[in-house]
Amino acid sequence: MSAARAWEVLRKDLSLGPRSPLFLYALVFPVVATLLIQVVFGSLFEPVPRLGVVDRGGSAMSRAVRQAPGLEVVRLDSAADLRRRVERHDLDGGLVLPRGFDAALRSGDRPPLQLYLSGESLAKTRATLALLTAGLVRDVAGAPGPIEVEVVATRGGSSLPLSERLIPLLVMLAVIIAGVFVPSASLVEEKERRTLAALLVTPASMTEVMAAKGVLGLSLALASGAVTLLLNRALGEHPLALALILCVAALMAVAIGLILGALARDTNTLFSAIKGGNVLLMAPVIFFIWPDLPGWVPKLFPTYYFLNPLFRVAVESATLSDVWRELAVAAAVCAALAPAIVLAGRRMAFRLASS
Amino acid sequence: MTAPRAGRGGIVTAIIAKDVAAFARDRFWVFMTLLALVWFVGMYVFMPETVDESLRVGVHWTESDAAFDAALGAAFGAAAGLDVVRYPSRQALEEALGMGATQPPERLTMGLDFPDDFLVRVHLTLPTSVRLYVDPEVPDDVRPALAAMVRESAYALTGHGLPVSLPNAETVVLGEDRLGRHVPLRDKLRPLYAFMMLVVETYALGALIAAEVSSRTVRAVLATPARIGDFLAAKTVTGTLLAFTEASLLMVLVRGFGHEPLLVAAALLLGAVLVTGVALTVGAAGRDFIGTIFASLVFLIPLSIPALAVLFPGTASPWVQVLPTHGLVQIIVGATTGPMAAREAAPHLASLAAWCAVALAMGLLTLRRRVAQL
Repeated sequence: MSAARAWEVLRKDLSLGPRSPLFLYALVFPVVATLLIQVVFGSLFEPVPRLGVVDRGGSAMSRAVRQAPGLEVVRLDSAADLRRRVERHDLDGGLVLPRGFDAALRSGDRPPLQLYLSGESLAKTRATLALLTAGLVRDVAGAPGPIEVEVVATRGGSSLPLSERLIPLLVMLAVIIAGVFVPSASLVEEKERRTLAALLVTPASMTEVMAAKGVLGLSLALASGAVTLLLNRALGEHPLALALILCVAALMAVAIGLILGALARDTNTLFSAIKGGNVLLMAPVIFFIWPDLPGWVPKLFPTYYFLNPLFRVAVESATLSDVWRELAVAAAVCAALAPAIVLAGRRMAFRLASS
Repeated sequence: MTAPRAGRGGIVTAIIAKDVAAFARDRFWVFMTLLALVWFVGMYVFMPETVDESLRVGVHWTESDAAFDAALGAAFGAAAGLDVVRYPSRQALEEALGMGATQPPERLTMGLDFPDDFLVRVHLTLPTSVRLYVDPEVPDDVRPALAAMVRESAYALTGHGLPVSLPNAETVVLGEDRLGRHVPLRDKLRPLYAFMMLVVETYALGALIAAEVSSRTVRAVLATPARIGDFLAAKTVTGTLLAFTEASLLMVLVRGFGHEPLLVAAALLLGAVLVTGVALTVGAAGRDFIGTIFASLVFLIPLSIPALAVLFPGTASPWVQVLPTHGLVQIIVGATTGPMAAREAAPHLASLAAWCAVALAMGLLTLRRRVAQL
């Protein structure tokens, strides 16, 4: 194999690549996916109770509600609007504070508490809103706290918000699009346009062509994965370890991409393969989002062996020595795919020659 | 001697048969489509079929049951949304919270440890302290709520009710009370599953048409007695048939036909026509497969929004309600969560049908123009 000829093929791909929408997609994807998943869909899995407040007299309750942690508070002008929004479940609850509410509370007049709860909100959300309101009522009434509540964190570690549990999904998407899609689509496109046959008439061999496609996918996958980690502020305390894991992840993705690209007859077949195969590649991601699911299931999928080290190093500050065993399995998978790439390349060359 | 002329129906059928055979011959495509189907069904089966509405709180309380009922039971135990589980000792509670040497099979995330002299001290108005155990996973809003619950238990014991007059439950809860009848996420996802299956066929048909346009095989077809109208009719029927069959099969497997099978079938059929219209438009561009996918995304991203919007609480924004697939989503959701009156479904069906007409007309016109230019 000549590195110089492989470089020439790669240079051609690099100059023509940006014209392909897929190339652009692989570059733009990390930014769009991060924005979409973290900002838009993040709230789907961890909904925050939404409370509407109508405050007609500058109540201290309204100020306290706005400062309460974990609540989404919306200020409204009319009680009718509040009731309508609660009824339509645009809000989980609503609180109407009439003029003079605080004074009546402090003087012991027991003013009516106008708290509304949506029939469509969950029981735990209703309980949380009711209890929070009760606590705030006590605070504003100025009743002395009869007991102290000491809060003890059971795991003692930092919390794992959804934004962090979604990191494997985002990295996986970025690496797969760049590492699997780009080399496979590039190979199939060349087969369909017969430019691959033309390329093989030159001194370039199939190995050099595939190496060039692989390097293209690898570079894009690495860049895409790194940008995703950077955008999600998940470079962790051990960026070098993370870089090594990302290399293994990109290698596995590229190996799969090259095999698919070599075997697929046309883009339709390739798309079907990716459509079905993605199910297997992406499956472990679910187990990071919902960690209570059985832990042995994701270990059946090869991508778990780079996703878990990546997650542990990026999010849990693990070191390379903590994750090397799993990473070694991922590297072994990559090594096992190498002969398959060679065989698939030979088969493709044979088919091209006989067609 | 001349061969008997085939009627228009025969020609259209022949083109449909050719297209369906082209898909069916690709065994890999069939296998992968089936795999995608299995994936969606698998997701449906393995996702929880109920909504966990309660907060499970472990409590260590050494006083009598009567005192417990007076403090926590009477004040909050009856309230829906709190599932209080008692533990005989602090150690047992901490083990249940995963703080022991072994991990419990079902770990608690919240716990309250009341001191042994809690009742005495509260009654004597002496300061006392209660431990609130919280896992980092516990949402921020729940912690002050639990702290308030503990304080209210002490107030309840000393006879200090809330300094406000409380309305009755009927006036507090607005809208249909779905307590215990909430739609689980797996059922909310059904319109999205149906949409995804429809989308898959948009890509497939779009790519097929694009290939025929770019390789000009459509010219070869039109060199036969087939007219351009036959070609367009065949593509419309093929696309609709494939998309409808796959989406219907999926809906059967995830019990998506619900209480109104005819209504859902009608909506799926219209949805299939809608995505076929999109596929005709996209395929007319006659680019390569990847180009077809990206052209499809321009249409499919806005079309997927109503199926995603239904996952979020509350009513969809007005702009979401005018999107073509809003009607399809509303019918699937309405029919699977309870009986849906024809009067309720009619506007959704009408809107979907109108959008189908627009999408199909656009697709047919675009493809006709493109074929004429070849």
